[in-house]
Amino acid sequence: LIMSKEARPSWDSPMQFVLACVSYAVGLGNVWRFPYLCQMHGGGGFLIPYLLMLFLEGIPLFCMELAIGQKMRLGSIGAWTAISPYLGGLGIASVVTSMYLCLYYNVINAWSFWYLFHSFQSVLPWAECPVNANRTGYLEECEVASPTQYFFYRETLNISSSIDENGGLHMGQALCLLLAWIIVYLFIVRGVKSTGMVVYFTATFPYVVLFIYLIRGVTLHGAWNGVKYMFTPKLEQLANPQTWINAATQIFFSLGLGFGSLIAFSSYNHHNNDFEKQAVVISLINSGTSVFASVVTFSIYGFKATFNYESCLERMRLLCLNAFDLSEESISAENVTAWISHLNITHPERFAAIASKIEHCSLEAELDTAVEGTGLAFIVYSEAIKNMPLSQLWSVLYFIMLLLLGMGSMLGNVTAIITPLADIKLLTRFLSSESINGLVCLLCLLLGFGFTSRSGSYWFTIFNEYAATLSLLFIVFIEVISVCYIYGLRRFERDIEDMLGHRPNWYWKVMWAVVSPLLLFSLFIFYIINYIQGGTPTYQAWDKDLVRSVKTFANNKLNQNEKNIKMKKLVKSSIIRILTM
Amino acid sequence: MLAGVLLLIFLPPLVAKDLCKDSQDGFKVRLSIKTGLGDDAYEWNESEMFLFRSTLAYAMRKHSNQDTYTIDNILVCNDTQRVSFVFVVTSTDDPDQLIPKEQVELAVRQNKHRINNAFLLSDMTLEFMGIPPTLSAPIIYDTEPWLIVFGVVIGAVAVGIVALLMSTVSKKRRAKEKAAGLSEEDEGIVKENGTALSSLGRKEGVYNQAFSNDDRFTKL
Repeated sequence: LIMSKEARPSWDSPMQFVLACVSYAVGLGNVWRFPYLCQMHGGGGFLIPYLLMLFLEGIPLFCMELAIGQKMRLGSIGAWTAISPYLGGLGIASVVTSMYLCLYYNVINAWSFWYLFHSFQSVLPWAECPVNANRTGYLEECEVASPTQYFFYRETLNISSSIDENGGLHMGQALCLLLAWIIVYLFIVRGVKSTGMVVYFTATFPYVVLFIYLIRGVTLHGAWNGVKYMFTPKLEQLANPQTWINAATQIFFSLGLGFGSLIAFSSYNHHNNDFEKQAVVISLINSGTSVFASVVTFSIYGFKATFNYESCLERMRLLCLNAFDLSEESISAENVTAWISHLNITHPERFAAIASKIEHCSLEAELDTAVEGTGLAFIVYSEAIKNMPLSQLWSVLYFIMLLLLGMGSMLGNVTAIITPLADIKLLTRFLSSESINGLVCLLCLLLGFGFTSRSGSYWFTIFNEYAATLSLLFIVFIEVISVCYIYGLRRFERDIEDMLGHRPNWYWKVMWAVVSPLLLFSLFIFYIINYIQGGTPTYQAWDKDLVRSVKTFANNKLNQNEKNIKMKKLVKSSIIRILTM
Repeated sequence: MLAGVLLLIFLPPLVAKDLCKDSQDGFKVRLSIKTGLGDDAYEWNESEMFLFRSTLAYAMRKHSNQDTYTIDNILVCNDTQRVSFVFVVTSTDDPDQLIPKEQVELAVRQNKHRINNAFLLSDMTLEFMGIPPTLSAPIIYDTEPWLIVFGVVIGAVAVGIVALLMSTVSKKRRAKEKAAGLSEEDEGIVKENGTALSSLGRKEGVYNQAFSNDDRFTKL
């Protein structure tokens, strides 16, 4: 009998594997991308394309990756090489993409740590503007923007005005990134043994926080406005092809396919683990969490929108009272708009003096401002939190949840790199697995310091939008074609029968062989067309003078051209003004 | 005669009103009592105005260190429903002479806190147009609170990693010692007796499939 010296480590129980996959799949995208898509594409109606895509491509591809990992019992490079020696590159592509993801994803965790640590103060630092030098008012940049925006762009990032200006490292961010990587190392140092312990917490605690936030959210004043807005389906959006494309890509990226993490996780399974049922369960949990998180997000949106709307009405009320010296009881929040039109008619000259400051307050307009990504998580949410009673508690809870979601996903990302490395016999002969894991984390940390510089947020945007989008579609497309046509669907069916005891039914076979490849191919073509038609890429840069985000061209020459044109216009208009004086 | 007497009686307040209305040294004051206090709001009446004038006189006294300012030195005009009005401060020596704007501003800024408290209002709800509020100074910490929390967390994590690594190292060392110890004992026994059978007592034995009790495959 061969007593293998080092049997492949495995999960202590199938539950650990399921929790690890849930922890990996349920990440920040469920919280900040799905609610945005819901809002953009017709509220409740978006669930139709979303669920359809889940069944057409999400669940089948997820199941396929789990099957491959469980059968081959190797990381992505080894698994694909076993399928065909010419496909080793597919595994390498997965590892490289995971590497990119590891580099920039942990920066979000660093930001979450920064915000979490800053929540332990009597007054949240993003609740009030800092006072200026002679204490007569607040700093101008903060006054014009808002305290939350100021805190994010100036104090957290100390952002420069374009990607070309590098600035120095932000020491606070660098420290937080260091902490984030040390914690990741702590979680993966013993491989699946340590990861298996951690996922009990990282997979379940975010749901506790989400549930608490749900209760808090729906009891906030004005929350119902947001939830109603979200769930009112605008079915005409279904006619827009962009809706279907976004649903497909969201399912695809949300499940984390193509990175090699799923193959890595399932390679530690027992041979007879029922991955088919688990695949369905995990995908449904992932989508369910997205919907759950968007209810929470929209109740908070509703609260924030109502708060802003009521502040706007209050400002207009004060403006009218002060300009016309009326008593305070004469105008109330309800009849402000009526009074404004009345005053415009009765005292047109005096009204003209304040006409420039009159804003049109609209709850719809406030709700329509859809935000996604880091802007949602760090600006919109923190603005809502600062207005809640006991804001420090809610802030701490929220950022702990973000951290757990982010860390859970990081576990999968790093496992996708270290599992193939551990399969390389040459490496394991000289270095222990702890050292290999440590070296990977150290390398990612050192490269990740670039994202903590003053222009780091712009680099983050580049990586977020380009590092793992097109390449993943290509990788998974090749994966599904390889399994169905190179390895052979029949051979794959027999392997599954060997593992599970029954053959996959017609649903799986049709999806794997026909539907998913077609969908993936059309998404891939769409992305390429979009990229070609896009022209020079642009990004949102924070302009210190205008104190808001402006669209900046990635090509510096174009920026210079724009500046020259603006300069010429300015000179021309001032000459004309001088001549006509 | 009667006209002269009447003129004498009504002239000072008329003159006073002119001083207040036409002057450049006046400040407009605006109170938002309902906004500031909600249900606890008090009615603005002559007595409240009296209190205001006396707090301003108090402010002028403190600023100039002269105890000669009285409530008659504070003139008020342009009362509106908003509860806003204009005030000027006359000099103690000459009632027709006004205190310059800058002096009044300094006096108000110095004592804004006391004036606010007298009316249970704040810088937002009791406004002196043209006098910027003095905001409270930012708190300067010796060590930023976030660094303290960071230090605690990173310390705990570092301890965790060191503990894990130590346990791994000690486990490996123990395994190595066990293997080395066993192999030594084997050789010793063989050298002593020349039989290898007694060495079997230490190990768990070798699993020989030929003599397996497992009749999974052959059912007779």
